[in-house]
Order: sequence, then C-alpha cells, then structure tokens
Amino acid sequence: METRDLKPFHYIRPESLQEAGRYLASEEAVKLLGGGNTLLLQIRSGQESPDILLDVKHLPGFGDVRYHHNQGLKLGAAVNLQHLVVGLEIRRHYPLLHQTAQKLASPQVRNRATIGGTLAWASPISELAAAMLCYDAVCHTWSPRGHREIPLAEFYLGDYQTALARDEIITHVHLPPFPNRTYGIYHRQTVRHDGRRMIAGAAVLAYRKQQALTHWRIAVLGMDNRPKRIPDAEAVLEGTPGEAEIARALEIVQEQIHPADVDYARADYRRASLNALLKQAITEVIHHLQSIRS
Amino acid sequence: MVMRKTHIIGKPFPLVEAQKKLTGTSCYAGDEPFGPDLLHARILFSTRGHARFQLRHVDVARKQPGVVALITGADLQTRLGATIEDRMLLAVEEVHFAGQPLAVVAAESPEAASAALAAMEVVYEDMPGVYDIESALAANAPQVHPAMATYRGFDKLDAQPERNIAHRVSFRRGDVDAALAQAAFVVERTYTAAPLQHAPLETHGGVAQLQGQDELTMWMHVQAPFLQRQIIARALHMPPENLRIITHCVGGSFGSKVFVSVEGLLAAIAREAGGRPVRLHLTREEEFLAVFMTPAMRAQVTMGLDEAGRIVAFRGIYDWNVGASVDAFLREMQRIALAGTGPYAIPHAEVQVNAIYTHLLPAAPMRGLSVAQVHWAVEQLVDELAEEAGLSPLLLRQRNLVKGGDQLFPNFVMHANGLESCILETTRAIGWQPDQNREVTGTIARGKGMAMGWSPIIISPGCKSRATIQCDGENLCTVIVDGVDVGQGFYAFITQLIAFELNFPSEWITVLPTDTANYESDWQAIYNNLLWSTGKVLLQATAELKRQILSYVSELWEEPMTHLDLVDGDVISYATQRRLSVLKLLQEGTGDGPPPVFRATGVYEATAKHDGLDGLLQSFATTGFAAEVAVNLETGDLKVLQLAGAADVGHAINPEGVKAQLKGAIIQSTSQTLLEELRFKDGVPVTLDFMTYPIATTADMPQKIHPIVVEIPQSSGPYGARDLSNHALVGASAAIGNAIYRATGVRIRELPITAQRLYDALKQFHASRTRADAEENRGQ
Amino acid sequence: MKHHISFTINGQSMELTVLSHQTLLEVIRNDLRLTGAKHGCSTGECGACSVIMNGEVVNACMVLAPEVDGTDILTVEGLSDGEELHPLQKSFIDHHGVQCGYCAPGMLISAKALLSRTSRPHEEEIREALVGNLCRCGAYADIIKSIQVASRARR
Repeated sequence: METRDLKPFHYIRPESLQEAGRYLASEEAVKLLGGGNTLLLQIRSGQESPDILLDVKHLPGFGDVRYHHNQGLKLGAAVNLQHLVVGLEIRRHYPLLHQTAQKLASPQVRNRATIGGTLAWASPISELAAAMLCYDAVCHTWSPRGHREIPLAEFYLGDYQTALARDEIITHVHLPPFPNRTYGIYHRQTVRHDGRRMIAGAAVLAYRKQQALTHWRIAVLGMDNRPKRIPDAEAVLEGTPGEAEIARALEIVQEQIHPADVDYARADYRRASLNALLKQAITEVIHHLQSIRS
Repeated sequence: MVMRKTHIIGKPFPLVEAQKKLTGTSCYAGDEPFGPDLLHARILFSTRGHARFQLRHVDVARKQPGVVALITGADLQTRLGATIEDRMLLAVEEVHFAGQPLAVVAAESPEAASAALAAMEVVYEDMPGVYDIESALAANAPQVHPAMATYRGFDKLDAQPERNIAHRVSFRRGDVDAALAQAAFVVERTYTAAPLQHAPLETHGGVAQLQGQDELTMWMHVQAPFLQRQIIARALHMPPENLRIITHCVGGSFGSKVFVSVEGLLAAIAREAGGRPVRLHLTREEEFLAVFMTPAMRAQVTMGLDEAGRIVAFRGIYDWNVGASVDAFLREMQRIALAGTGPYAIPHAEVQVNAIYTHLLPAAPMRGLSVAQVHWAVEQLVDELAEEAGLSPLLLRQRNLVKGGDQLFPNFVMHANGLESCILETTRAIGWQPDQNREVTGTIARGKGMAMGWSPIIISPGCKSRATIQCDGENLCTVIVDGVDVGQGFYAFITQLIAFELNFPSEWITVLPTDTANYESDWQAIYNNLLWSTGKVLLQATAELKRQILSYVSELWEEPMTHLDLVDGDVISYATQRRLSVLKLLQEGTGDGPPPVFRATGVYEATAKHDGLDGLLQSFATTGFAAEVAVNLETGDLKVLQLAGAADVGHAINPEGVKAQLKGAIIQSTSQTLLEELRFKDGVPVTLDFMTYPIATTADMPQKIHPIVVEIPQSSGPYGARDLSNHALVGASAAIGNAIYRATGVRIRELPITAQRLYDALKQFHASRTRADAEENRGQ
Repeated sequence: MKHHISFTINGQSMELTVLSHQTLLEVIRNDLRLTGAKHGCSTGECGACSVIMNGEVVNACMVLAPEVDGTDILTVEGLSDGEELHPLQKSFIDHHGVQCGYCAPGMLISAKALLSRTSRPHEEEIREALVGNLCRCGAYADIIKSIQVASRARR
C-alpha cells in the first residue's frame, strides 16, 4: 500500500483560460483535473497516463455561484457537489438538485467532485446529469475559438463522449429560473443503499400552471449509453395526466431505453426497476402539484 | 470487616487500546517505524485459474535498479500448511489458482519493486480447470491435487484426491431412512451460499528482518502468531525458535489473519535481504485477489416431523468449495458436522460434511466459522417444515430445541443453555406475533421472521493457552498472553479479570504485545475458545501471584497467610488491621534488599488426542435472531427494518462489550446476507475492490438493532462466561430469509439475497399464482 | 515535477517540497510521519484516510500533494488538545465506538466535520455523514451513538 501507484505527471495550476488553452493545444497528453475522483482511479489502473494534469479549480470565476430570480442560477465549473447539498439558493430554488446531490456518493467525494468535472466525465449513470437535465441546464464553455453554450440535453454523445472539443473547457453551468410551483423528485435503486452499483434511476419534474401540469421532464440514467430525457413520454403527461397517460408515458419510456446487462443486474430487471421507480416518481409529482392550493 | 470495593466483573469496561486507536498512535500494518534502510516487498501473482507457466526475464528483473532480492519457485520449492501441506509457497511450473504467488521481490522503493515485477513476463498455457462443486465432482474432472497422497499430513485426512474430495467428516445416530419413511411431514431442500471474503479494512502486511545468522523477526498484525510461526518455520526449514513474530495492532481479521497467506513470502524474502528490514503491505486489489476466501456452500437438507410436532429425523449433506487448499478449513468441518442439525434434539440424524477441491483461491473460515451458512439452510428449513405442518415456527422451535441434559453426542451431555430465552426475547423485541400476516402498504410488504443458532466450542487437539503475569516496581503489572486482541475486547477481559482477582486498580495492568519469544511454538487457542482457555490460565496465574504476594507479606509481618488479603491495591490483615500498599512494596521494597518481583504463569493444554483432527467438544454457544424486513414487491429492493440478536454468553463480564460484539455481528451478517458475493470469471476473481465487492455502509445497516444478552452460566468458564464474537452471527441470515417469506410468500434459498434474486422469485411466484387461479377458474 | 508547498497541518505551519504525483496521504504518512490516517483502498471507497481540508472532509488518497498548497489540514492527531482528548474521542471510548480501530481515525474526522456544521445532528444525519467510511467490524451502531452523545455534551 505504500507504493506510489500514480505514474509520474506534471501538475500545473494555470492562472487563466488562455494559459490553460495553450497547454491543451500542445502535443502532450493533457487532462483537466477537477475533484480527481475518477481521473486518479484511471491513472492508477493504467487506463490514462497523462503527461500533464491541469488543475482548473482556481481559474477566475470557476468557484462562483450566483442566483437571480430573473436570470436563474450560474454555477462555476469548479463548484463542488457538496455546495448543491448545503447551498441555500439550491435548496430553495432547485430542490430536485439539492435532493439528488444529497444522495450522491459520500461527503468525502462530494467535497472534491466538481460540477464541471462530473458533467464532463459523462457517465451513463450520472445522477447529477439527470437532475440537471430536468432543470434545462446549459453548459457554457471556452476554447481558443471563443465561448459556446451547449444545452446539457445535447452535451452527451454516449459512451462517455461529450460535445466538448479537445481544447474546450466548461466554465460554468446555467440553470434558468423556475416558477414556484415546480416540483421534482429523484428515485433510484442501487445494490448498496449508499448508491453503489446502480440498477436504475429516474428524475421527474413538472410545474403547475393554473390547473394544468406542464413542462414535464423525465430523465433516466443507467438505461442507455448516456443519461437522457424522454421527451415523447414527457409530452403525454402535459395537462392533467391520469392513469392512462401515466401508463402510456411509461410504455414510451420502455420503448426508448436500451439498458445493458451488468454483472450485478440483468437488462430486463433494470427495465422493470426503472418502470417501478418512474411510476412512483410521476405519481408523487402529480400528487404533490395537485395538492398545492391554488 | 473490610469489604472488597471493586467489583469490575459484569460492569462496563472500555476497550483497553481504545485511546491509542482513537488518537492515531496505534501501530497497524504500514505504520511500523523503520528508517531509510527499509526495503519494500511486492509479490507477483498468477492471473489464471489453472495453467502451466513459464516465468521469463527473471535475470533482467534481478538487475533492475534498486532490486535487492528476488525469489521464484525455481529458487525455493517448498510446501505450506498447518495440517496438510496442500499449497506451494511459490508456484512451480503449474498454477492451481488465480492469485497464487509466482515470485517475490524486495527493493529500495515500492516503485523499484513494481518495476522488477513488470520486467518479468509470465507465459501461460491454460489447462482445464474446475471452479464449482458440481464440475469438481463430475466424472473425469481435472484433478486439482493428483499428488495429494504425497503431501505431508495426507494420512490425517479422509480424502479422495481422484474425485477432488479433500476431506470428509460425518456423524450419524439412529436410523434416518426409517424415521423419514414414518414421518408425517418431510421437507427436502437445497440451499446455497456464495463465497465471501473477510475484507478486513487493514490489508495484510508487516515487516520482517533477518538478525544474526538465521534469526528472523517479524512485526506482524496477525491473529495467531504461534500457529504462523510453526507453519512458516516448517516451510522455510528453520528451527521455530529462530523465528520470532511480534504482533502489533490488528486492523480486523475475521479469520483471514489466522493461517499463513502471504506472510511466508515476506519471511522468505527477508532472509535474502542482507539483514535489512523488509515491508510487505498488500494493496486492496491484492487482498481480494490472493488472500483467502470463505468457501461457498451447497447444503442438501431433509427434515421429518411426526404428528405430534416433534422433529424425528434430519439428514444434511454440506459440500464446501474450498478452492485449491483445505488446510485452513479442516478444523471447521467437525464444527459444521456437530452444528449441522441445528439446535434441536433429533433422535435420528445424519450429517456429512465434504470439502471439495477446485481451482479457486484457498479457503479459510470467516467469523461465524461457516456454521452461520449451515444455519442459513437449517433454520429456513425449519420454517418450511412448520408451514407444511401448519405449526407456528416459534412453537415448533420451542418444542424441539436441545435442552440441558440431552445427550446428543458420545461423551457430551448438553449443558443448560439460553436457546429458549434467546428466541423468546428476540421475537418479543421486534414485536413478532404468531397470527400476524404480512402488512402491505402500496408496493411495500413487511414481514417478521426468526431463527435460532448453536455453534460448538471445540478445543483443538494440542491446543495450548498460556498467560504470564509479572508485578514489579517499574511496570507494575504486565501481562503476557498468546492470544491476540483483534478488536473483540480480549485485552479488556484480561484487564478486568486481573483487576478483580488481585484487587488492583485496572490502570496498573498492561497487556504486552503478543510475542512468540515468550513461549515455545505450538497450536494455540485462536477464535472459538479464546476467552474460555485464556480465562482458565489467567485464574491459575492470578491465584499463584496472590499467593506469592501474601506469602511475602506474611513473612514480613509474621502473620499467618490466612489473615491476609489483597484489597484495593493494598495487602491487609483482617486480624491486625495492618495495611501495606502493594505499589509501595513493589517500588520501594521493605528496606532490606531490592524490592520484590512476583511472576506467575498459567498453562492449559488440551488433553484431546494430538494426532487426529477431532477436538474436544466443550460446549455450545447459543443464539437467537428475529428480523423485520420491508420488500418492494415491484423492484425486489429489501430493507432490514429491525434485527434483534441474542446470545447466551454465560456471564457477561463486560456487558457493553458483549452488546458491541452483538451489534457488530448483526451488521456484518446483514452485509453478508444482502450484499456480499465473491465472483470469478474462469476462476479469476473479478470482485477486486469495494465497488464490486460491496460491504455494508451506514445506509445498509438495519434501521433498528436490538442486542440482547442472555446469561446461563457455563460452569467451566471463567465466572461462568462463554465465548461469543465468532458465534454471534449464527442464525441472522435465516431470520432475514424467514422474514422475507412472511412478507412476500417467496422463499430465497441462495445467498446473498440480492434484489434481483428477490425480484425473479416474486415474478415467478406471481406467475404461478396467476396460473393456479386460472386453472381454478377453469375447473369451476 | 517538484512543487514547494506551504500549508498548515494540525495548527502548525509547514513547508515541503513534493512531487506532482504524490498524494496528500503519502505526504502525511511518509513525509510527516503522521500515521493516523490509514491506507484502506486507494480508490476513495473506504474513508480510512479521511482528513479535513479547509473545513471539509476529504479522502487523502484522492488529493494530490501540490493541491494542498495554501490549505489548512486537520488529521486525527490534531483532534486532541495536547493530553486532553477531544469530546468525540472520549465518547468513542465510553460507548465502544471502536473495535479493531482501523476505521476509527476516519470516523472521527467525518464526525468532526459533521459537528462543525450541524451541532446536534439526529441519527439519520449521522448515518448520512458516515456513508463514506467503511467499518468491517460493523461498529456503526456504537459509532453513531458515540457521535450523538458527544454532540449532546457539547455546548
């Protein structure tokens, strides 16, 4: 255990995006370092052997959190996941994000993991991505060619690939403001109840406009090569969904997912689990929104 | 009249080492303080289950910068084992399991050691392997140990090498076939349990250094240093007295640090390191790959009940996949045979225990000593039988449990025991009701179940226990024992016993690190009877010490010894009311000559025959569990809402310590029952980290835990006490299984109870019920 | 690549030269000889190497040494005030919050981090705060109780 199992690399803490960009443009194998929870594992196991680790946590603005009721929430890429648990603006205005973050890994991991790093890792079982998808998150990026905005729904290409170019960095994530009568819920089933060994997970969100339930969001994880929304199922629930609409939405979800067998759970079982979780989540969202006094 | 004020036995007492452990100053593997002279060892492990191999570029590896010594099977061809030497220290030509050591290196830095391993190339030529019980027993299966008959110790075993049967133990009473034929109800089932790993948080490790000509000192973190000395010395052809093992803090063992796994390789490489200290400390991956597994079980169990609700017959065939070595598992087989019927007085019973060789890593007992897995089968079978006969599972158990005075085995009459209290108190704790049906709210079904347990406490043949207590002015009261505290509160027990017997303040007493230099090498008390046997020798030693001290003062005061006593750290005279501080006596003496030093040793040696494997059945630990679970009927997700565990400990010398052990056993059982399974692909372990081999976190523990202490004194134990920690798991998994059945109508017969397994069973159950309903409708 | 870093550990200022690929755990165990934080897995799964960095609990095996520059670190060795044990340590002794003890330093550190933001946590909050700390002995129940009692004793 005493072994220094990390193969040598250069740790560099750039002062500016431009400096970071110069490293990314170089010939060397460069990796961005956020919390390192995944990257260090990959280096230890030999999956990655970077020459340079760029610690982007200290770049200007990367630690910022700003909320404005008209503009929504801006989260710097280096804000850690624990902030989503403790931040008052998150609890108050994005409770689904708060609720999901509480379930993420452990305090040790959340304190290190960054929002930018977690999203860019593009894990098919990213719980953070599921909650962010429900809130229409947009990734703001920088590259030597300028700034870009990539909606999170278009960010994931599948199999751990993202829309980021080689020299592109997430600077912050933006979530639009949501009306007061928004409610969301995240359910998951995992082998170990701390969240290890994901079987299925689903986040559902909607808000109430007069008597209608609208802006439905259904995001599933572990069901495909990326976390994804199921817009066709969302559409069925618009208005005043009853048993038939819920059943139809669940059916559409089942048609549009492609879970894989994993060594601890078969695909058919993961489908069944997702179905149960999703049904529960949709029912709870409807129940909650309908119980709000108008 | 002077009364004893101190009554420390039966009162809460903190763990002796707690303060050091909680300030980060205890010495665990990797913490041993050595200077820059320290070398670092690493081991090359095989990555194939069964293959011929060639190790190439060994010379290149030896010439890598920083390499001090490198040994392969070509350099050191020797076998390893306590009873049967069915393992090689280093593989030669052929590997028998993935994780088998091929080479060991010592180098100036961990990186240099790793580089040396990387410089070698292993070329494998795969051979057909057997990895499970069925394929190992199949006709024409590849033989794991074709040369077994030539191994030292073979004559002690009942083996059939050509059938891959490593050893068999059985017992029989009455006529089982006839009794089953006449029984009113018979249930026959097969239960299985997955292989597990001990997974102590501290991986295996330590430091070894050659001193002088061929004297080796090892600073280790093991549970049985005397046993390890014997095994290592024999494998390395050293006189045992030349090998010294000093044991520091053990960061969890659960059975994995009793027998030798990688310790022999550390000893071997340290002998080649020119007198420099060498450290070995396994990575987590290596710990999972190459230490020990606890064997998978297949249990074929049959039980018969008569009209009156008496269990009249039992047959159990327990097969264990012991991997490529049975050595560490041998002594559990008698235990399994004796416990195999469950804690019932059954007139006709037959138990067969078979250890099956496969090409998996070697087996070693884990906490619960595989008796826990036996009860997974038997205690669910009892519920199945109760259901069949329409009886309450509690009533069936009460009617049949073994009672004091029952003679079930030759030369052993069952002692008074707490079985009935255990089951009554645990079921009461969780609110179990005989007529209570399952409760379903939405998709969640709740149910309650119970199980009992018994676990034989056996004195191994040749087993020794020793304790030496010394009182002197410098260190006051130091204690040397051969057992090791692995977190179960052993040193607290020693301190309490001595403080009580000598009426000393407990602060005077220091238990020294276990050191093989103190006693000659031999088999030692390890896990199942440590308290019983160490208690015995401590009582001998304290009695002798007290005699020495009182005799000394009696001469000084010219008073008969019968007038004197030890009270609150003083020698007092009941006759003259004189009083002398023992502390003062030890530190200053009496004026003439140096202060006295008192020293006494207690020795216990088992009288059981030395050459065989059968030990002396001394008593049974008895337990009871009751569980309440909540099952999601759509997903199979399972939560343990409550788990009550009771054990008859005879007399709780440290009641809070006993409860801590019970609570720990409840949580570890829950982990084993719901989460743990060592998995292999072509014989190669694929569960190599805590992600793939999950153990319970605080999110998985039962929501409510009820530890219950039952005390029916054990006449031969110290103050009537009986050992606990290992036995405290026996029955818990079946209580969970029975609760699931009550909640869902589904019986899970395979461990672990994963959500997917439960989901599949629920689905099948509903499909068959729907079919039955349809047929019924058609019939009408 | 070498880095000169300065930081405080257990209240003491420290300056060190470290390599890019060293971890915080290696620095505190090998360079500073503080062996309270343990190696348990090297994958951030077990929490045996937990330390507090700038007020937040982290796995020291997952922090690179150069990242430590300018931070404030607390290890289990810094919990007690000289000879005087921290209330958490006392409570772990009194309530059997330790068995084999290998997880104990990490447990104490997680508990300390929890109590610094929630002075009177309820049982569920303590369970959540400890999910990153494995204990193979299964001492969780008594660890939770130790933390609860310690938090009640504090003013």
